[in-house]
Amino acid sequence: MKILVIIPAYNEEESIASVINQIRFYAPEADILVINDGSVDATGEIAAKAGVKVVNLPFNLGIGGAMQTGYIYAKYHSYDIAVQVDADNQHDPFYINKLVQPIVDNSADMVIGSRYVGKTIYKSSVFRRVGMVFFTFLIKLLTDKWIMDTTSGFRAVNKGIINLFAMDYPVDYPEVDVLVRLYKKKFRVIELPVEMKARKTGKSSITPLRSIYYMIKVTLSLIIETIKY
Amino acid sequence: MFLNVHSISILFSITFLIVVIELVRKNKLLEQYSLLWIFMSIILLVLSSTPKIINTLAKWLDIKNPPSFLFLFGLVYLLIYNLHITTVVSKQSKKITRLAQEIALLKEEMENNKKI
Repeated sequence: MKILVIIPAYNEEESIASVINQIRFYAPEADILVINDGSVDATGEIAAKAGVKVVNLPFNLGIGGAMQTGYIYAKYHSYDIAVQVDADNQHDPFYINKLVQPIVDNSADMVIGSRYVGKTIYKSSVFRRVGMVFFTFLIKLLTDKWIMDTTSGFRAVNKGIINLFAMDYPVDYPEVDVLVRLYKKKFRVIELPVEMKARKTGKSSITPLRSIYYMIKVTLSLIIETIKY
Repeated sequence: MFLNVHSISILFSITFLIVVIELVRKNKLLEQYSLLWIFMSIILLVLSSTPKIINTLAKWLDIKNPPSFLFLFGLVYLLIYNLHITTVVSKQSKKITRLAQEIALLKEEMENNKKI
């Protein structure tokens, strides 16, 4: 099974090298692909120096466009499994093998690394948790499935989903959006508990006002996704 | 009076039509987007040259003030045209994204080949 770890990175020069090294340590059999999403810092150079494959986008496409680039790459090079790992050190590469296993066993099409399934020591702000619970209920309403960590970007997908995403991937809020899309196409999505680390570098973009705005936008986009053909 | 609302609107529609056609001739406006504008300026020309049409239409629609019909028409037309333009922009932004992705992937492949 060919496994590709996709790291979408936008201005993550401080953390990218350590993320790459940890992935190499915990998942030595996987190929690593950094999607440099128009960074203005040295993210691309550092990743290239680390010896992994780097795709430099000519300008910032945002998380949706960047991740889709990774899926297109995975499709062109016929990978069987693609794993998304964030470049900011939040996702612990230790769990990559755990996330990949159900796909190898063909018991799931997508596996989400979840902060909220089982006991984890991950702590987040009140606003974030309110948003999380809201999305969980919204997804339950729209798809009749409980997904505890809807926004987790730590996920592994199989070939069928790679091909689907290479063709069409949401531009904004892809993590949540995709849950509805995959439900409609009858893919099997499961969650496995992982520990997530607090961000060491960079800063989270979440403020109270922004998270309300974010919630409204995601809700609208989820409803639209539900009624889409 | 020569300068009344009718003569001005006739003059305006003619100028508008000429500008649209000139833009197409200079290749600054694609034919596919010019059609709706040409259509619009011809309607405008007809309506402004024969006020009777507006008066009759306004009566049919039970509009007390006939010029209001013009406003309604203009508003609805621009609304529809705007929606059309947004679908065009959406299509283009999808295509641009795809182009950026394919170019980036091609460049990666070229670099790879160079190393070998």
